[in-house]
Amino acid sequence: MSSKHTYLSHTADIAFDVEADSIEELFIEAFSGWLNSVVESTDLKAESVVEINLSADSLEQLLVDFLNEVNFLLTVKKILCIDIENLIIDKEKLTLKAIMKTQKLNENIILKEEIKSVTYHQMEIKNQHGKYFVRVVFDI
Amino acid sequence: MNINGIELNKIRENLWEIPQSNGMRVPGRIYISREMLESTLSEDEALKQVMNVAHLPGIELYSLAMPDIHWGYGFPIGGVAATNLDEGVISPGGVGYDINCGVRLAVTSLTHEEIQSKLETLITKLFQNIPTGVGASGAIKKLSKADLKEILEKGSVWAVENDLGTQSDIQFTEESGTLKNADFSVVSERALERGADQAGTLGSGNHFLEVDIVEEIYDAKVAEVFGLFLGQVVIQIHTGSRGLGYQVCDDYLKVLLKASEKYGFKLPDKQLACAPIKSQEGQDYLAAMQAAANFAWNNRQVIMHLAKKSFLETFNMKESDLGFRLVYDVCHNIAKIEKHRIGNEIKAVCVHRKGATRAFPPGSELIPEKYKSVGQPVLIPGDMGRYSYVAVGTEKAMEETFGSSCHGAGRNLSRHKAMKEAKGRDLVSELKKKGIIIQAKGYKTIAEEMPAAYKDVADVVDVMHKEGITRKVAKLKPVGVIKG
Repeated sequence: MSSKHTYLSHTADIAFDVEADSIEELFIEAFSGWLNSVVESTDLKAESVVEINLSADSLEQLLVDFLNEVNFLLTVKKILCIDIENLIIDKEKLTLKAIMKTQKLNENIILKEEIKSVTYHQMEIKNQHGKYFVRVVFDI
Repeated sequence: MNINGIELNKIRENLWEIPQSNGMRVPGRIYISREMLESTLSEDEALKQVMNVAHLPGIELYSLAMPDIHWGYGFPIGGVAATNLDEGVISPGGVGYDINCGVRLAVTSLTHEEIQSKLETLITKLFQNIPTGVGASGAIKKLSKADLKEILEKGSVWAVENDLGTQSDIQFTEESGTLKNADFSVVSERALERGADQAGTLGSGNHFLEVDIVEEIYDAKVAEVFGLFLGQVVIQIHTGSRGLGYQVCDDYLKVLLKASEKYGFKLPDKQLACAPIKSQEGQDYLAAMQAAANFAWNNRQVIMHLAKKSFLETFNMKESDLGFRLVYDVCHNIAKIEKHRIGNEIKAVCVHRKGATRAFPPGSELIPEKYKSVGQPVLIPGDMGRYSYVAVGTEKAMEETFGSSCHGAGRNLSRHKAMKEAKGRDLVSELKKKGIIIQAKGYKTIAEEMPAAYKDVADVVDVMHKEGITRKVAKLKPVGVIKG
């Protein structure tokens, strides 16, 4: 497996390119990009789980909705998703089911950025030579 | 000139045109100096975004950009476009997630000398009274759904009705702090949930509250009308519609992505998703966006009230002695139906301003009576270490830019590069040596927002001044800043 996300130099917002071997890995890696963007702390401990169920009109929309969902949990419910326990994506039906490991925000968790939203700017999931690619841009 | 593979023709010293090509319905025009064009736009996609905006159905005259142009999503930051109401579209990409992000400027009767000894106490008090940072909440009571409905429909009038402002505050807010066609019923439950405890909060990123001193006056007559004098203590508040606005944008992008397909629009960027203004989708977005804009005006009004309270507590003064007065509140992320000259006709158009400020001229019916003889105040914040500007709108802005001007300095460095530059430095002490007290939730924000991360706002303001779009009135120097 060789999933990775690489941050781009963006003057105003946060942008990164994701590369993965499968669509699930692509979503997991994009989630890592989100987590690294919002939280500074590294000693995170899972306390609970949250299930996310989504359906969309395209894989891109599914990815935007997924990242916006974890962002909503953080900014409104004060629940930080720290890892993905299980992720099932149906590429035909365009549905997603994720079990997220979570930790309630506390004074020891240092947050970095407030992500306003995940944008659709330059977002296109590509599959080339068995690898998946996508660019993610957050408005901050 | 060729920048990043894009041909630009010089129209005037500070005005450049991208000719119409491949699907562009109008040419692009950028107000910028040659030096800024070469130094700031050679590595990003902002010029390409000016071209992308020119693809919008019903766009009139030009896809415009102000001198603080930089890479955004959909529109560039600093982008302005007007679409006609017949076959034209409305696009959330021309407004942004932070609907009605904007700036307000309030003055006091205090001078720099009078606050010097208690400046640190004042900044601490402001930082305690105004929630900042990621997901900041709880400035005032958690709002009920009924409160939210009223805020979304009334804007800052709600704050005034709830003893968080004065009638004068309403008079000196763009649109009197309320867009009248806002509709609560087209705003999602999730958006309401995100807004419920965020009224009166600054948020994070580039949002701030600054205590400034009037350092220089360029136009004494206009400054007097605005109520500005040398050495005066003033405040600037920069924030928007917080989570509620972000959610409205997100909700309607989905609706308008479908609408773009339904109406057969071929767009170069999904973030330019749009619908005909006349369509149900377009009207619903317009009404929801107006509701979010009203939330933002109320947000800045509540913050200003908390700031006034902080001044009164710190200096143990009576309100009548403080001389606290709102000069003006302008939004710089918005789409509004306005009347403009298109050829020989005066037409109603939908003006998208994404990181651009309205700049109406003397005599405009839409500016406060007090300013009718001089024009609308245009507020252009810089970075926290240098200065900000107050300018005034002109007739030329109406002729050329749909009554619009720049909105800020624009970033020069990415946040990552700024962090690298800040490594090993003590920015708080550096700013203190320059007479600026800063309080923020975390050092990272200070590092990312360090003065060197921004272009010199003087260069941006000078382009607009030289081109006659806005004229400089006063320069403000920061002495205290609170950030997220």
